[in-house]
Amino acid sequence: MRVTLDGYEPWWFELGNCLHSSVAAVLRARGVAPLPALGAHWGFRYRPGDARREEYYLPLPRCRSLVGALLPYHPVRSTWHEPGDEQQAWEQVREQIRDGGAAVVAVDNFHLPFRPAYHDVHSNHLVVVHGFDDRTNQALVLDAVPPVFHDWLDLKHLDAARGSTNVGAHRRDMFFADVPVGRRWFDVAVDGPVRDDPARDVPEALRRNVAGFAADDPFGEQVGIAGLSAFLTDSADRHEAGVAGVVDELFTVAGPHLASTALHAAHLRRAGRAREEPRWRELARHVDRVAHHWSALRITAAAARGEPRQAPLLRRRARALVSDLTIAVEECADVADRAQ
Amino acid sequence: MTVAAGTGRHRVLDLTDHLDSTGFTRPDATDAGALNIWGNTFAAGDLPAGHPRWLVDGVPFRTAEAGGPDHLRCRGQYLEVPIGRYDWLHLLATAERRTEDPVMLHFADGAVDPEWLRVSDLWPGGQAHFGEAPALRGSRLHYPRHVQANMRPTLWAQRVAVPRRTPLVGLRLPENPALHVFAVTCERPPESPEASCA
Repeated sequence: MRVTLDGYEPWWFELGNCLHSSVAAVLRARGVAPLPALGAHWGFRYRPGDARREEYYLPLPRCRSLVGALLPYHPVRSTWHEPGDEQQAWEQVREQIRDGGAAVVAVDNFHLPFRPAYHDVHSNHLVVVHGFDDRTNQALVLDAVPPVFHDWLDLKHLDAARGSTNVGAHRRDMFFADVPVGRRWFDVAVDGPVRDDPARDVPEALRRNVAGFAADDPFGEQVGIAGLSAFLTDSADRHEAGVAGVVDELFTVAGPHLASTALHAAHLRRAGRAREEPRWRELARHVDRVAHHWSALRITAAAARGEPRQAPLLRRRARALVSDLTIAVEECADVADRAQ
Repeated sequence: MTVAAGTGRHRVLDLTDHLDSTGFTRPDATDAGALNIWGNTFAAGDLPAGHPRWLVDGVPFRTAEAGGPDHLRCRGQYLEVPIGRYDWLHLLATAERRTEDPVMLHFADGAVDPEWLRVSDLWPGGQAHFGEAPALRGSRLHYPRHVQANMRPTLWAQRVAVPRRTPLVGLRLPENPALHVFAVTCERPPESPEASCA
């Protein structure tokens, strides 16, 4: 049997990662524009110690699925499946495709010939599988992360990547190695119509984001501006004290927040242009400034590995980020108020 | 100490004393540099004819000779410039993810102004987010253990405005190690007395 699902095309956002590109491909195939969905929510959330060694790491609120946390303002959710063995792993994906849905599959780049990391770096990554051919023993794989792969792949490669123990072997096996891939995959469910009406959606999202940045969490998670400030201060203090792994955690946590900030800016810029709303475009620039702080802080953290003396620079970068983020959130509130 | 060379409206800064990183490597030694934490570098074979002299949109630059440190990561270095009136600072630069920060411009009268340095992403697929000109689109990307032919990194030509109409003496780069600077050239106003005497 050979089945291919149509409508899956590469979508890549330069400051995003494989989670954004995979979810975007699924959304597009279902007629949902990716940027308004991926760019609506902006916030900060982290539970200390939660950082997982995955390129697609995302802090999860309680009772939220991975994709539900990525798109909290939309009726979209995901369900992880954890097959017991190689045969079951492929059967589940095959069944999913036969039923008309793509499978978003966790893989180790080390085993994928089209990835630059092939036989070099171990990294826990996501690809979309939206077809299979039993005769050739191949899967139709979409990976929009550069260099972009959208082609048939022999199952032996996919099986190896899915079953990888992902054990790092050298110093460049850093942030996303050393956790078994476990042949996991998830499906994405769209539970209702997805509205794309910027005149209503943008002010509504801004109000919800502003409220989120002002919130605290009764269960001890670090959320909002206060949580962000506490997380960054604590990270610099622990790094200075010589605690191992702190900057790796900071690098990993910064990734999804950099992406969501830049996606929010891109969404506001696009909506502001389409609706000829200059203030929305100016707001987009304020938010983009924060994304560029995240870039700087993330690379500063990576460069501080094994160098506790870099803690003061981490603090300076953190203060600048929180300061400009606070200004941007105030601007969000102002734009939302004017829209009422 | 930063010295300069050049004629006409442009002064090309010599960054030799500040170079601390290698961004171009040979195919037989791709692990000899790093533009990011993964150890990626431009291919030395992509260097333009005339290197180490570059001409991008009419602006001359000079980079280091290939085979060693050829750029600096921004860590708050102070670069002296030949005292004079300038309209623009031109840079060859790239960034690990796009980023921006103020550069502190120091003037002869003691004034200091922040002006923005904005640099787009090195990574293939990165756009000129800040409207820069691409100075080099690599034909391939070097990894420490191999050469990747279908990944095309970008070196950008960016510029920083010098609005103050008084002589500039130096600039302080930001503390942002995501920014990699390969060359700096100062451009004088078109009709200043200094330009006409150069």
